[in-house]
Amino acid sequence: MSSYLLRLLGYRFFQYALLGGSVAAFSCALVGLFVILRKQAMIGDGVAHVSFGGIAIGLYLGVEPLITALIVSVLAVFGISYMRRRGLADSDSATAVILAVGFSTGLIIISLAGGFNVELFSYLFGSILTIGAWDLALVSVLGVFSLALVGVFYKELLSITFDEQASRLMGVPVGALSAVFNLLVAVTIVLSIKVVGMILVTALLVLPGLTALQLDLGFRRTAFMSVVFGVGSVVAGVFASAVFDVATSGVIVFTLVACFLLVSALKGLVAHGA
Amino acid sequence: MTDAVIEVDGLNVARNGRRVIEDATFTVGRGAYMGVVGPNGGGKTTLLQAVLGIIPHDSGSIRILGRPMEEFDEWSRLAWVSQHSISFDERFPINVRELVGLGRINRGNLAKPLRKEDWVKVDEVLGFMGISELAERRVGHLSGGQKQRVFVAKAIVRDPEVLILDEPVAGVDAEAQELFYMKLSDLNGREGTTIVIVSHDLAAVFCRMSDVMCVNRRVYTSPISPDADPNEVLQKAYGEHFHFVFHEHTCEGFFEDV
Repeated sequence: MSSYLLRLLGYRFFQYALLGGSVAAFSCALVGLFVILRKQAMIGDGVAHVSFGGIAIGLYLGVEPLITALIVSVLAVFGISYMRRRGLADSDSATAVILAVGFSTGLIIISLAGGFNVELFSYLFGSILTIGAWDLALVSVLGVFSLALVGVFYKELLSITFDEQASRLMGVPVGALSAVFNLLVAVTIVLSIKVVGMILVTALLVLPGLTALQLDLGFRRTAFMSVVFGVGSVVAGVFASAVFDVATSGVIVFTLVACFLLVSALKGLVAHGA
Repeated sequence: MTDAVIEVDGLNVARNGRRVIEDATFTVGRGAYMGVVGPNGGGKTTLLQAVLGIIPHDSGSIRILGRPMEEFDEWSRLAWVSQHSISFDERFPINVRELVGLGRINRGNLAKPLRKEDWVKVDEVLGFMGISELAERRVGHLSGGQKQRVFVAKAIVRDPEVLILDEPVAGVDAEAQELFYMKLSDLNGREGTTIVIVSHDLAAVFCRMSDVMCVNRRVYTSPISPDADPNEVLQKAYGEHFHFVFHEHTCEGFFEDV
């Protein structure tokens, strides 16, 4: 068994999968923690569905689908915040509208292009074991970009997440930072589509943070544990799916849920024991 | 020109079509320790929020630290603690030191990590507020009195010239309140920080503070002198027919710690 795992590590496709998966999980876990605390998990789901439209456009036009997905997703997050700012709809309803527009656009384009095919399925459900050097490069660039943004604006993001009004009175440009954060969400989701697919990407975004939040730690440590749970689950999922020959994205999300339940149960035990 | 940190002239504020503040004219002088009192719904919070530009006003002028409020951007010179900020989501994963550290954010250090001097200042303020031993505790796990001191620490870690506190003692026991007012007196006396605080504790206002502002749609300010009779001040502000809960004017034990 262990020699089999070691042999797996020697394969280029497996190395790509581990690397790409870890980069995606790292940014998802970090950005996701802010998403949870800003109570914006629905936006994550909305952007993921909108990106379907972007992917379809890319496949139809014959350009890199992740790039078109990125453009459409960025437009979507700004569309959502525009609707909210202008009082056209609150965040949840705006997300629902944009989600529907993006997804239906995708459906129309797919039917124009001749229906569903294997490539489209790989974006819907993820295909981490088949990512090539180009995909890995793209995922890494986007990953480094989103981690750099979080790194640079760490204290400001934490501040506006904790209390927007107080931050404004401290001279923090809240509007601009919210826009930066929305951009960050779009980038993070798009770069994770190759890993777990657009259907399950919200799980990769939200579950590591939710699990880490159970631990009752300060912010820095919560963020660290969120990354540990996220990257750990992706690595474990990639190995398990190779060994048992089952869908990688399914195993990854299953592992994330298992971590969440386990930590919650342990927390309950400790609380009762104390 | 007087050395006023806040100058308000003819301010009118409406909320949901109802006039909440009417023709308010007052100044807060540098170094004042001003208690803002008045009945619930009388417009105390609205007044402070309008002065800070958090909510719009209909007419009148506001100057903060010598500049029109609309142009004011020296947010490092002013700090504000709202009722809202203390009632945050208790599950938010942040410890005391991290939260107070956020108070060091200002226009000059955007997109840069806090420096060593910032953390030195944080630890110094934690010590001043008597919460050093809570530094690593989750803010959501603290008692009301402890939380209140943490949020004030987050405000004063900015070294503000003006500190505005909107009813920070709600739900805090009497002993913690007393300790809290003591700390503010200390800050006001030693650092010369101008303090404006919304309070329901008339005894604390009349025994500790230099000025009182009575808000009940109209705004009336008065300096507090040691021999002033609070009932007289309050009657001037609210008229003869007002009934006060404040019965005795005894400040024994209040000044001893200063």
